Amino acid sequence: MADLAGAGDPFDALGDPNRRAIVELLRDGDRSVGDLARDLPISRPAVSRHLRLLKEAGLVTDRAEGTRRLYRLHDEGVEAVRSYVEQVWGDAAARFRIAAENTAPTERRG
Amino acid sequence: MIEPISREFLVGCEPAHAFDVWTSRTTTWWPVSHTVSAEPGLEVAFEPRVGGRVFERTPAGEEHTWGEIVAWEPPSRLAYLWHIRRDRSDATDVEITFEPHDGGTLVRIVHTGWERLGDGAAWRERNVGGWDGVLPAYREACETARAS
Repeated sequence: MADLAGAGDPFDALGDPNRRAIVELLRDGDRSVGDLARDLPISRPAVSRHLRLLKEAGLVTDRAEGTRRLYRLHDEGVEAVRSYVEQVWGDAAARFRIAAENTAPTERRG
Repeated sequence: MIEPISREFLVGCEPAHAFDVWTSRTTTWWPVSHTVSAEPGLEVAFEPRVGGRVFERTPAGEEHTWGEIVAWEPPSRLAYLWHIRRDRSDATDVEITFEPHDGGTLVRIVHTGWERLGDGAAWRERNVGGWDGVLPAYREACETARAS
């Protein structure tokens, strides 16, 4: 669906234990990739990959600070949830329409 | 106020059938990726009355409540509280209307009540780091899905 283009699914994004660990760490404050990698059993490139996915899902944002890039949890939690649900409705509505148009009404008794 | 989600679209069937597919054949169209357990073979059910539950039931018989019906007016209107993967106190409001239109049905979905989750500063204040209210539910759900 066009309106879903490029939007990651927060639900999928959090389906990975390393990404959940990253989110846990970011709850305590903004961190750089290197900083996160020190506290995780995975490499820096792997941390970067996970951060990219979390960013696409709208869970994490980043900003440059000097030569470093700092990651943080997205401030607008409600807005992220709302836009996730908006995607759900788009998907559900399309599927509902197909189901309604391709089934016969049930006979009603009484 | 946080902008409501609203969608409307036409469906090529009568309102009564549209209402019926929405509420009693939900399993056939609700995206399984947007359920709590995401288990193959799960069912989605509406208890057809005000106060009834909207819930999912896995093949093993485990149930997860998604919401509670607040208006049950077939074939034209349906409304429910929606708190899938959340605490009931964080419920938002879903209203669906089915209106006859050119031999088909105009379906309108309006999902409101986002401010109940708190907004901006209030949300952050209530939930340390802004996410405590959301993540445990997501996490639990994800883990349930993985473990199956």
